[in-house]
Amino acid sequence: MKFDTVIIGGGLAGMACGIRIAEAGRSCAIVSQGQSAIHFSSGSFDLLGRMPDGTEVSDPIAGIAELERIVPQHPYAVIGSERCCGYAQRVPELLRTAGIPVSGDCRKNHYRVTPMGKSKATWLTIEGYLTEQEPGKLPFEKVCIVNVEGFLDFYPEFIAEEFRKYGVVCCFETINFPDLEHIRKNPSEMRSANIARVFDHEKNLEALAGKIRKVAPECDAVIVPAIIGINRNDSFEVLKSKVKVPLYLLPTLPPSIPGIRAQQALQHRFRSLGGEYFLGDTVLSADLESGRVKQVYTVNHGNMPFEADNFVLATGSFFSEGLVATPDRVKEPVFGADTVYASSRTEWYTLRFFDKQNYQAFGVKTDSALRVVKEGKSIDNLYCAGAGLPGFHPVQEGCGAGISLLSALYVADQILNSK
Amino acid sequence: MNNTYDVIIIGGGATGAGIARDCSLRGIRALLLERSDIATGATGRNHGLLHSGARYAVTDHESAEECIRENMILRRIAAHCVEETDGLFITLPEDGLDYQALFVESCGKAGIRTEILDPEEAKRLEPSVNPSLIGAVRVPDGAVDPFRLTSSNILDAKAHGAEVRTYTEVTELIREQNRIIGVQAYDHRAKEERKFYAQVVVNAGGIWGHGIAAKAGITVNMLPAKGALLIFGHRVNKMVLNRCRKPADADILVPGDTISLIGTTSSKVPYDQIDNMIITPEEVDILLREGEKLSPQLASTRILRAYAGVRPLVASDDDPSGRTVSRGIVLLDHAQRDGMEGFITITGGKLMTYRLMAEWATDLICKKIGVNEVCRTAEIPLPGSVESEKEVERKMHGKPIAQKRSSIARHGALATEIDSRDSIKNSLVCECEEVSIGEVEYAMKNLSVNNLVDLRRRTRIGMGTCQGELCACRAAGLMGKRSPICAKKAKEDIVSFLNERWKGMAPIAWGDTLRESEYTTWVYESVCGLSDETEKTSMP
Amino acid sequence: MNIQQNTVSENNFEQCIKCTICTVYCPVAAVNPDYPGPKQAGPDGERLRLKRPDFFDSALKYCMNCKRCEVACPSNVRIGDIIQSARIKYGPKRNTSLRNYVLANTDLVGSLATPFAPIVNTAVALKPVRFMMDKVMAIDHRRIFPKYAHGTFTSWYKKHAAEAQAAFPKQVSYFHGCYVNYNNPQLGKDLIRIMNAAGYGVRLLDKEKCCGVALISNGLYNQAKRQAENNLASIRTAVNGNDMDVIATSSTCTFTIRDEYPHLLSLKNDDVRDRVELATRYLYRLIQSGKVSFKFKEAEPIRVAYHTPCHMEKMGWSYYSIELLRMIPGVEVTVLDSQCCGIAGTYGFKKENYRTSQDVGEPLFRQIEASGADLVATDCETCKWQIEMSTTKRCEHPLTLFASRLV
Repeated sequence: MKFDTVIIGGGLAGMACGIRIAEAGRSCAIVSQGQSAIHFSSGSFDLLGRMPDGTEVSDPIAGIAELERIVPQHPYAVIGSERCCGYAQRVPELLRTAGIPVSGDCRKNHYRVTPMGKSKATWLTIEGYLTEQEPGKLPFEKVCIVNVEGFLDFYPEFIAEEFRKYGVVCCFETINFPDLEHIRKNPSEMRSANIARVFDHEKNLEALAGKIRKVAPECDAVIVPAIIGINRNDSFEVLKSKVKVPLYLLPTLPPSIPGIRAQQALQHRFRSLGGEYFLGDTVLSADLESGRVKQVYTVNHGNMPFEADNFVLATGSFFSEGLVATPDRVKEPVFGADTVYASSRTEWYTLRFFDKQNYQAFGVKTDSALRVVKEGKSIDNLYCAGAGLPGFHPVQEGCGAGISLLSALYVADQILNSK
Repeated sequence: MNNTYDVIIIGGGATGAGIARDCSLRGIRALLLERSDIATGATGRNHGLLHSGARYAVTDHESAEECIRENMILRRIAAHCVEETDGLFITLPEDGLDYQALFVESCGKAGIRTEILDPEEAKRLEPSVNPSLIGAVRVPDGAVDPFRLTSSNILDAKAHGAEVRTYTEVTELIREQNRIIGVQAYDHRAKEERKFYAQVVVNAGGIWGHGIAAKAGITVNMLPAKGALLIFGHRVNKMVLNRCRKPADADILVPGDTISLIGTTSSKVPYDQIDNMIITPEEVDILLREGEKLSPQLASTRILRAYAGVRPLVASDDDPSGRTVSRGIVLLDHAQRDGMEGFITITGGKLMTYRLMAEWATDLICKKIGVNEVCRTAEIPLPGSVESEKEVERKMHGKPIAQKRSSIARHGALATEIDSRDSIKNSLVCECEEVSIGEVEYAMKNLSVNNLVDLRRRTRIGMGTCQGELCACRAAGLMGKRSPICAKKAKEDIVSFLNERWKGMAPIAWGDTLRESEYTTWVYESVCGLSDETEKTSMP
Repeated sequence: MNIQQNTVSENNFEQCIKCTICTVYCPVAAVNPDYPGPKQAGPDGERLRLKRPDFFDSALKYCMNCKRCEVACPSNVRIGDIIQSARIKYGPKRNTSLRNYVLANTDLVGSLATPFAPIVNTAVALKPVRFMMDKVMAIDHRRIFPKYAHGTFTSWYKKHAAEAQAAFPKQVSYFHGCYVNYNNPQLGKDLIRIMNAAGYGVRLLDKEKCCGVALISNGLYNQAKRQAENNLASIRTAVNGNDMDVIATSSTCTFTIRDEYPHLLSLKNDDVRDRVELATRYLYRLIQSGKVSFKFKEAEPIRVAYHTPCHMEKMGWSYYSIELLRMIPGVEVTVLDSQCCGIAGTYGFKKENYRTSQDVGEPLFRQIEASGADLVATDCETCKWQIEMSTTKRCEHPLTLFASRLV
């Protein structure tokens, strides 16, 4: 099989890179070991929420410029703040064209509201999800938080506990009807995705709307967990049209409906541009010839390798096995690339779970063009994008999605400009 | 408030719980005080091995005899806490077969049944055993769940009138001349000091008993010995595996509920470090290296966590240097030893002999307060062990099979009290260990649960593969439902629960465990936006 | 230090990190609450079953073995294999009903039916007969049975093709499967036509038995293993003895021989696995290597929607079939979302599964109806039956279409 570019990894970085390359008319294949971490999405995309020292960032682009000055090994610094700014401005369009309606500003963070009711600085949020311009500046004074009876991955009480700090009056409402009772017969599968399937049916969406109409007179907004619209795009719009009160969504614990939808939207976009998407396949090894990758071999395709002019390593970090940790090392399993990590395991982490853990900043060594380094030398046509890059803390710095998207576009540019 | 009792027991480990039960069965009004939750000290931090005594047969005849006697008693009175797996003492080529003859002979003297097996037969019985073994002896070892055992003792003690206060830390012993007449204690939940009085105060604080005795100006010379263990992700072996040689590091592999665990290392630690057990990479390496010799498949089995306990070894009174150490039971009547009336210390011993320790201590209490009742704890089954598993299962309907059997394994006959009326009660909170909403509610209502970590000890919530990644939030959600104050506390609870889980995972965080941790971080820190607020106050 | 360098062991279930992604993609759990779902039935359940075998839940039988959980899993956990292996290891050993026996033995039933095909076909289409099968055998009366051919593929081959095929200088071996043999010999003839046009003669295996997929799903493991051993022996003769590759037209047969034999029946096939493949992949390779090209005739433009069968999705090979379709002039290919059609071999024939089966397939049926396609193409025969029964569209094998357009 021969392509212009083969991307290993179908997460946010791999998809964004693939879409960009396919948009340019190049033939592109994505090989993905299963579904990606987008499935745990909060419904928002972060660019930069905090500096490495913990100070809050209000203007991410300014923050990136500062990073370039003080943390030269940070991927944003490697890409360069000017380029980052350019890519950041292109991202919303890329997502919207794929059918992910986001809003936000790379010069000013807004706040998303978490399933625990906390406020987190973010860059882009999918339409319909509750956001704030400032923490605690909620667009309502009396709100009703709706949940589905027996749904364990959403906690109205936790949300209310935070909202009350800002003087918001909260009330609760639980919904239950036969189709929901039906899925609840299974003790473990009352999950967001299965509930969302119930609400894909018009009559159930109407029943939900009915419940909201009933509580609406007593409050000035209603919050619904993200349990609608898995196989259809219009659920939220339809629901909104059926009620008069302002309606907001809040994410749930995994699996995340906005995440599943975003993943599927990106996949559709990529395929509609002619991209080939190989799901459930693992790249095992590669043939390297005079400093270039010639082809890669996968589990499914065995003796039929993927040949390409360019390759992108977008396999992510530990979760997706882009990095593999053994008791004494951190490896990159496909190409055996050089990795950046602390040699003594005791330096990988502290004993406090919420500390900034060093292991989270481990990654694949690259040069300034994000080309992968092996045995000290850059591989000409192999680039690294996304969570597998070293030198940043995706969670504490609130920059995971931004690194994935921006590094993907940077790598795509290098590939498109390479000939 | 009436704050006067016949006896105050300090320490909610197996021994303290056992004394509370024994006292209350003999009609003595007992108050048990525990600074944390039950079974948080050495009780909950060991192998969970139902010793046959074989391990001690060669070196310590007395302990061996005590073990086999208590072993047989526990099978009867604590059936739902015990798994009758039997054990193998295997000889590897590096050990040589010489020890086996002595071992079998010593077991015989202590009354421990043995059966010498052909290596092939041993492999058939226990497929996970190191196939290069040259000899094996079968003994009546088993597994015992220390949390269930302690909890059942507490339940029975309470049912017979004992009062139990967890999270109540003794700060002072109240003294009147040469007599201890009560204790002053800090209630961590109500955040206030309280006083309690009794004719006898029992120090059953395990290794912490050293500090308790010191409050009366009494020295009990304890030598903290740290033992580290590893928990593997699933049940690797069916039978307990031991090395047939002089006891050494990491030579016992015990199957316990859904997991297997290997231990222990042994090292002396300074007394001021007993609340701060950190597992070193070296300890992990020893455990793995030696563990693989018992069962080679440990080399490729996922490790869930590492933890360490501190054994309360007591130096003999006549050897102040501390070199002569007793592993046996130590009962000190401070009236005789130190001229301090109304105060006794029970320590030493092991989980296996908790009941016997309780019996000795209670006998002494009886003597002191003039009660003339005999001990019945060896005959009366603990709550949960009154019916066989099959009988219990017959009474339970409507639950999926794995959920039903898991809850019976955890609560024995009391599993029937778990609400399973409708699909909501049967919904799983913890999917790895099959803990339902009904079971969580049962534990919250009946088993003195104050937080998520307590709940884990009562139900195995968060003890499975994911170490709380899915269930921490769900269980906190259930606890937080009760009131706005509960919601706030429950959210803080998630943080301390995850911290507690991570402490055990960090020493072995590579491979899938590291992947799991990264994912858990995304869920709780990124998606949920939780952070550790205690950091700001406790860190300079 | 050299410990714990590789934690990927037999205990593949331990790679599960409870991310819940598999539960999103399980077609059964989405519609049937009696099924515990892939996470509970698979890795979570396995851990409990290792503790005590009696934690086995008979509800595992609702798993369709579509392996979509495995495709979705980011941790490479062989969830479907774990569930099916648990059924073999812990499930009831000997209680196969007559119904399951009949459904599973496609080979036996096929050879009994084909001589009387017209009568059998008419009979099973009759309401009273279907009603009776429903009542007596618990085969759902709404299910439309595939028609049997009058005369098998192999008897035709022996009479009319064997000699000519042997004369080709290059040869491949063909695993035709029960469907081609008893229901649709034409597909076999189409394959022969294509391979002949490529310069290859098509031979049959010495002794071909049903691949056993239906036996496995109906709990007849010993019989499945015997047939698998027989097939592997014949494949070895073809591959090692005669240096012939073995190709098949059925995605499920291919998948079973390549992956289920070692994973579920513990039969090693490493020595021949790479030489057993789907005909469309084989052809794609020949074409890509430049050794072979085909001449197509002018024909009416046609819009074809390709449906990816579950086992095709698992193998990851739909690419090859789709690329072949795209090579046919006048054929406009759209690719349907990869989702289960619900039939899962014999699963959907069972009365107790009929509703689940149709509910699972419903989104696919809707997409097919909305696609505006003239024809659906797919590599799996049972998907074809389901699609033809549940939609207004005809469904063909890609190679049937390919052959029909050859000059």
